[in-house]
Amino acid sequence: MALLETTGVSINFGGLWAVKNVDFSIEPRQIIGLIGPNGSGKTTFLNIISGIYTATEGQVMMKGETITGLKPYQIFKKGMSRTYQSSRLCWDLSVADNILIGLYTKQKYSFADTIFRPKKTDGEIYDGLQQCMDMLSYFNPELVDRRYELVKNIPHIDRRRIEISRALVSHPSIVLLDEPTAGLNDDETMEMMDDIRKIKEKIQDICIIIIEHDMKVMAEVPEHIVVFNAGQKIAEGVYKDIVSDPAVINAYLGGAAV
Amino acid sequence: MSGGANKMAKEKKLPLENLLVIAANIIMFAIVYFMLSASEMVSLIIIAAVIVGLLLADKQGYINWLFALFIRHKKVAFISAMLCIIALPLLLATERYIAHIACMAVIYAMVCLGLNFQMGSTDMVNFAPAAFMGIGAYTMAVFTVNMGVSPWLGFLSAIVFSCIAGILIGLPTLRTKGYYLSLVTMALQLAFTQLIKNIPYLGGPNGISGVKSLNIGEFFFYKSYTVFGVKLAPQIPLLFLCLFILVLMVYIAMRVYVSRWGLSLNNIAQDEVAADCLGVNCNRQKLFAFVIGSIFCGIGGALYGGLASFVGPTDFTFARSLIFICMVILGGMDNPIGTVVGALLLTVIMEKVRSFADYGQIIYAVILVTVLIVRPAGLVPKRVRDYCSLFKGKLQRSGKKNEAAAKTE
Repeated sequence: MALLETTGVSINFGGLWAVKNVDFSIEPRQIIGLIGPNGSGKTTFLNIISGIYTATEGQVMMKGETITGLKPYQIFKKGMSRTYQSSRLCWDLSVADNILIGLYTKQKYSFADTIFRPKKTDGEIYDGLQQCMDMLSYFNPELVDRRYELVKNIPHIDRRRIEISRALVSHPSIVLLDEPTAGLNDDETMEMMDDIRKIKEKIQDICIIIIEHDMKVMAEVPEHIVVFNAGQKIAEGVYKDIVSDPAVINAYLGGAAV
Repeated sequence: MSGGANKMAKEKKLPLENLLVIAANIIMFAIVYFMLSASEMVSLIIIAAVIVGLLLADKQGYINWLFALFIRHKKVAFISAMLCIIALPLLLATERYIAHIACMAVIYAMVCLGLNFQMGSTDMVNFAPAAFMGIGAYTMAVFTVNMGVSPWLGFLSAIVFSCIAGILIGLPTLRTKGYYLSLVTMALQLAFTQLIKNIPYLGGPNGISGVKSLNIGEFFFYKSYTVFGVKLAPQIPLLFLCLFILVLMVYIAMRVYVSRWGLSLNNIAQDEVAADCLGVNCNRQKLFAFVIGSIFCGIGGALYGGLASFVGPTDFTFARSLIFICMVILGGMDNPIGTVVGALLLTVIMEKVRSFADYGQIIYAVILVTVLIVRPAGLVPKRVRDYCSLFKGKLQRSGKKNEAAAKTE
């Protein structure tokens, strides 16, 4: 059974079909890449899956249940987390706080526990912090020492790592990475590629959907690639087949170039 | 080896640091005492010195150092602070007017703590704290005067009614964000003042007088007692009660701050979509901020009713709400201690500049504007949550080891 499946998903923004009739499925443990020209609906598609937008038509199924129309926090609880194209960390909070919020639903202590603070609750908070730091040190151990610094003082690539740690710390079954290498230079892109591979080593059961423009990353990281153009899925397959697909070349370079 | 040396050094330092904590507490409360009891000019000079001192000390990092010191010696700090807090009303025992100001400052601090949940933590600028406070005060007044029941029943109903009001006012505002939310609360504040002015049962523009304060059997919290031949001001027992409740509130606010609840509020403030995608039920958390905030305001209002023994529409106007907002901004957003400092300073300033007539307002404004230009974040701004300081001894050490192990991996 597919972990996540969309059937005929479409979304209409005031007459424009940003995503039109997309059938998509991802099996457990798979890594899928989404590519497509700017404005082709990749991010919109992720926003539909993660519940920020509700699909105008079609259905999204996760683990056999319909999740269309659910709120993002409900979908998160079912085991889906994501990162964003432009970093959406809380700039005025520390590194530790930014990752700890990823455990919000995993920590179960009640409001009464918050105030009376039994030993159990202190332990829970501490364990949470420990998990966050473990996750962070997996990507960049130096950041553990900077855990009480504000995120706005952290370099860009490390912010990306913090964001990925935040998404992973709750051990989701699907993580959506929206352009993790945006704004990074070549060397940093290579580092980030290693980091993405590391995700798979750290959490074996996870499946990853990744949007990326960098073809180096696309050639190496995903097992399977889906190509979007003008809100529609135009091709699907392994990297080798995709790059020689005339429809894809047409979408990226324009009809005249072929 | 080095660990052992550190430990020894720590043990040697202990008594000195304990003394420092106690001294700091005593100095702070001495300042508060002199600020309250000195004459206008002296008091204003002390306030100016406190503000400048706080700003300079923070620039040098002394404030953080002091916070760390207090957290390290939690027990000593807590006990000495409690003793100082108990000593304060005793020092003011015979001075009616000053005891009244002290009571007002403490009650305003409660309202500000409530407002801080919405404004400081969640970034929802609520322009109606005075309305919430008014709901508490009027509930108390209606129960004790109109219905003539026990003040305790009034006090409990004040909590219940302000909680209900928090939900009722919170629900429609949840559909809005930012400026629009502020506009909705502003409208509610204005509507509240007009409403109580026009309901005859609530006394209309004349308000309700003769509000009873709390009592335990024959012991009344607002009554002049003679102890050892000294006639105490009637506010003293109430001041004790208010201080006790304020300490509880600060404690709750600090605990909420270092927990997933406070963290989720901060996340909603900074990026609601991201918080939503991380499993935070934004509407529920915002409502939580509204409800806990309005309960704090309501308790403050109920105590205010008992203190002034009169509630009227003029006490809970839009202007009063703005003063509460100023207190939170001046003291420091999202820091319970800062909020209390802000409330205390502004209340005292307001009272002390009263004798300068119209010039008083100018002095008040000048102080406020100067502080906010020099320091937009407030006198005691938000601190980074330091989780490790929560855990003493074994937990922390094992944690450090784990972190070190994780690093070497």
